[in-house]
Amino acid sequence: MSLLTAWHRSIALLRRRRLDRDLDEELAFHLAMREADYRADGLGADAARDEARRRFGNVTHLKEQTRDMWTFPTFESFRQDIRYALRTLRKAPGFTVVAVFALAVGIGGNTAIFSLVDAIRARALPYRDPDKLVQLWGNVQRARVERRGASYPDYQDWRAQSKSFEDIAAVDSQSMTFVGNDDPERIQTEFVAAPYFSLLGVSAARGRTFQPDEDVVARPAQVVVLSDGFWKRRFGADPQIVGRTLTLCCAARQYTVVGVMPPGFKGLTDSAELWVPFALWAAPDTMAARGVRGFAALARLKPDVTLAAAQSDMDAISRRLEQAYPNTNEKRGAEVSPLDVELFGNIRPALLTLMAAVAFVLLIACANVANLLIARSEVRRREIAVRAALGAGRGRLLRQLVTESCVLTMLGAAAGLVVAHVAVTALLAQSPVTFPSFATPDLDVRVAVFTVAVSLACGLLVGLVPGLQAQAPDLSHALKESARSSGGRQSQRVRNALVVAEVSLAVVLLVGAGLMIRSVRNLAGLNPGFDAQSVLTLHASIPRTLAPADAQSAAGATAAPAPPSRPVVEGRVLLERLRAVPGVTGAALGSDLPLDGGASASFYTAEGQPPVNAQNMPRIYVHRVTPDFFTTLRIPFVSGRTFADSELAPTSLAVIVSEGVVKRFWPGQDPIGKRLKFGGAPTSTNPWMSIVGVVGEVKYRALPQNPTADPDIYLPFTDRNSLVGLVLRTSIPPSSLIATVRAAVRAADPSIPLYNIATMDELVGNQTSRSRFTMWLMGVFAACALMLAVVGIYGVMSYLVSQRTREIGIRLALGAKGQDILRLVVGNGARLIGAGIVIGLVASFALQRVVSTMLFGVSAADTAAGLAVVILAAVAMLACYLPALRATRVSPLNALRSE
Amino acid sequence: MGETKKSAVGDMLPGTLDMLILKTLSRGDMHGYAIVQFIQGASRDVLKVEEGALYPALHRLEVRGLLRAEWGTSDNNRRAKYYRLTTAGRRELETEAAYWDRVAAAVTRVMQTA
Repeated sequence: MSLLTAWHRSIALLRRRRLDRDLDEELAFHLAMREADYRADGLGADAARDEARRRFGNVTHLKEQTRDMWTFPTFESFRQDIRYALRTLRKAPGFTVVAVFALAVGIGGNTAIFSLVDAIRARALPYRDPDKLVQLWGNVQRARVERRGASYPDYQDWRAQSKSFEDIAAVDSQSMTFVGNDDPERIQTEFVAAPYFSLLGVSAARGRTFQPDEDVVARPAQVVVLSDGFWKRRFGADPQIVGRTLTLCCAARQYTVVGVMPPGFKGLTDSAELWVPFALWAAPDTMAARGVRGFAALARLKPDVTLAAAQSDMDAISRRLEQAYPNTNEKRGAEVSPLDVELFGNIRPALLTLMAAVAFVLLIACANVANLLIARSEVRRREIAVRAALGAGRGRLLRQLVTESCVLTMLGAAAGLVVAHVAVTALLAQSPVTFPSFATPDLDVRVAVFTVAVSLACGLLVGLVPGLQAQAPDLSHALKESARSSGGRQSQRVRNALVVAEVSLAVVLLVGAGLMIRSVRNLAGLNPGFDAQSVLTLHASIPRTLAPADAQSAAGATAAPAPPSRPVVEGRVLLERLRAVPGVTGAALGSDLPLDGGASASFYTAEGQPPVNAQNMPRIYVHRVTPDFFTTLRIPFVSGRTFADSELAPTSLAVIVSEGVVKRFWPGQDPIGKRLKFGGAPTSTNPWMSIVGVVGEVKYRALPQNPTADPDIYLPFTDRNSLVGLVLRTSIPPSSLIATVRAAVRAADPSIPLYNIATMDELVGNQTSRSRFTMWLMGVFAACALMLAVVGIYGVMSYLVSQRTREIGIRLALGAKGQDILRLVVGNGARLIGAGIVIGLVASFALQRVVSTMLFGVSAADTAAGLAVVILAAVAMLACYLPALRATRVSPLNALRSE
Repeated sequence: MGETKKSAVGDMLPGTLDMLILKTLSRGDMHGYAIVQFIQGASRDVLKVEEGALYPALHRLEVRGLLRAEWGTSDNNRRAKYYRLTTAGRRELETEAAYWDRVAAAVTRVMQTA
């Protein structure tokens, strides 16, 4: 087709009405002329008109042919098909509503989950070439490989020796106190090496980011970059901000603002508001220690370097370092991990499982619609046969049927988009899993394309089955056949297979949902080792003042070691004030609290222990706590006692350990009075400390399990810590106390910022959020699946009964009882349901491994699975029973007459 | 009407009708009915154009840009659609006519030698 022709046709498409009118007029003119000529030849008026028409032939056919010249014939018939489809769908509203509803649920769910999955892809990261970004983690080979992070010397060696990366930048996140005019505030701060910003491909909106000479450990520059939000919130978007100074941290240090980042940029942690040079991360002697590890590094792979190549590069470097520094680097490695895995790794498995689950729902919906369409195509067998007899091509008929199901699915898709929009909004609002702030799942173009693709695929799928069945209409047979007679054996088999498939898919989803629910209940019932109910937790950064006498001496001698400083409020005083708050029944301080992520570990040596190596060198998590920490959190004592007030001194050598220490070194012995000391080597010069008490193991670091099995050690709280955790046991709902507690702390000293205020229940809840999120959605999907499957079963059974009305009538006439009929129909359905359940259970067991990482304390053989099957069987049997009941009420006379 | 064998244009070589239409219109603008009459008359009633073939052909030629249609008034004062040959149509006619001459001559030669 030439371009010109295509152009004419396209124009004609827009002006089809006028074209039709023109054609009508043109043909009318022709007829009139011919008629006039015949009359001139002497024919009568009627004869002339008839003769003219006769000679002209089939006007409609001619018009169609002429119109074809102007239009794209396939498009034209497509249009016709669509109009015809809409008309037939309107004529069967019940069918249409059920089918569109089923599809809307399936397609809507899929689109919603796809939107979420799409929002957490590497591509979604708001950085330059995000799929080339990786994080480097120092790790150690113990019982298993554990992540530790890098030390500064290791990091420098990585930078110097690796060949796989464009650049590497150290990153760590800490909170710092911003001392403003009014409230002091804890601000999430990223300590970043100079290349950090260029690695991410983000530059400052105002001013600049750090220069390499500002990030030198020997003389770090006191400079800071602000987030857009912080700049607006605390500085009123001051345009003169660059060059101003602000006061950060306890030491009242002045930092010069060098830049402001663009809106939306919150760093890798997605919560940072300030950035300072990494050289400020720790004191120079700490930075120089190869054994002090604790930060990850951001790196960008060179364009042609694969992840595996980078990993082997880092492996080689780690082996060299291990040889050069056996004391600090024995069994130490480095892991290269894609950034998107680091940032999204915790939500992705859940979402992918949900994606699979919701795909099942869509399959069930499709099976449902296919079933409905088959049933309809049986009814329409005669119509199709007639159309075939009138010369409709086989391909044309198939196309018509496929078009019809496509129209149906597109309607479903439209409804589904609405469902998806509502669902995404609800999911984000309800989700206990936090999505990154930059990931704003939305129904964008790609999602719309996805929906259309899915629905068209569905349309073809559901249209093809009945379409192919209609492929071979035995014309004479079909025309003779009454509309009532039962459909072919083959189509019955297809429908049965669809029901079995629906039931088995529903079983899989129900079992999955049941397992998730059980799993979450197990998590909720899990004993974390402490009592989380009615506990408020908060953190405070207690500023320090120089003792007056010391301050004078410090003024003269700056080179002298840092003078001792005192907290503005002693912990003891703070606790007294808090205990006085009405509703508070107990209060304690700790250097860190369970599940607050602040714990750190040390190696230790137990007196008389056998020799150890890097793999089994005993390690322990260290917490400094006040004596009533254990009673406040209700951590049980296995033996011994808590600290005496006299032991709350920096020189105290009394310790409390968790049971794990005793089980490893002194099983079956009285642990009280046994000694241990910090430091992995037995030659360590640290003082021996005596055990005064043993407490139960606490899930201190994560639920349902601590990441490593290392036990805990509790040392007496001294006022050395400036960052403290506060736990309050309350007699009233803990969150209702927040305001009064704040006021009490402010009354003690207004310069203490409080942060991370949460009830212990919330902290526990955060740990299980992923499971709860998955459970919740699995429940929704399983409910949808159950509902759709039941609708499907009901539909098929009703259809079956209506098809067998005559047979049932004869049986009744021959003396069959209602019960027999009931048994006949229900038995029929029961076979299908039973087969579906068996297949579904087998599939569930097979799929169990896929979801096992999300489960806690359950297996597929769980009672939950049994329960799911019982529910499904019961509801499905009900769906059979109702049509069966109707069958028993068939009047034999009517049934026979209905033929 | 006692007559000898008449031929519907469609029975002849494909494309012949298009050529005849183009040739007819090379004499001047005409409406569809006039084209039928002209071809019938010019062929001394040997060639008879079917309406069922004429109008699709006219529209096909128009879509191809070989004809242009305009509404005008007929001799008996009725609104009628007049077709006019475009430049492209004129070129097409030349090609078709040359081809026809060759084919017709070839057919004649075959008939004479046989």
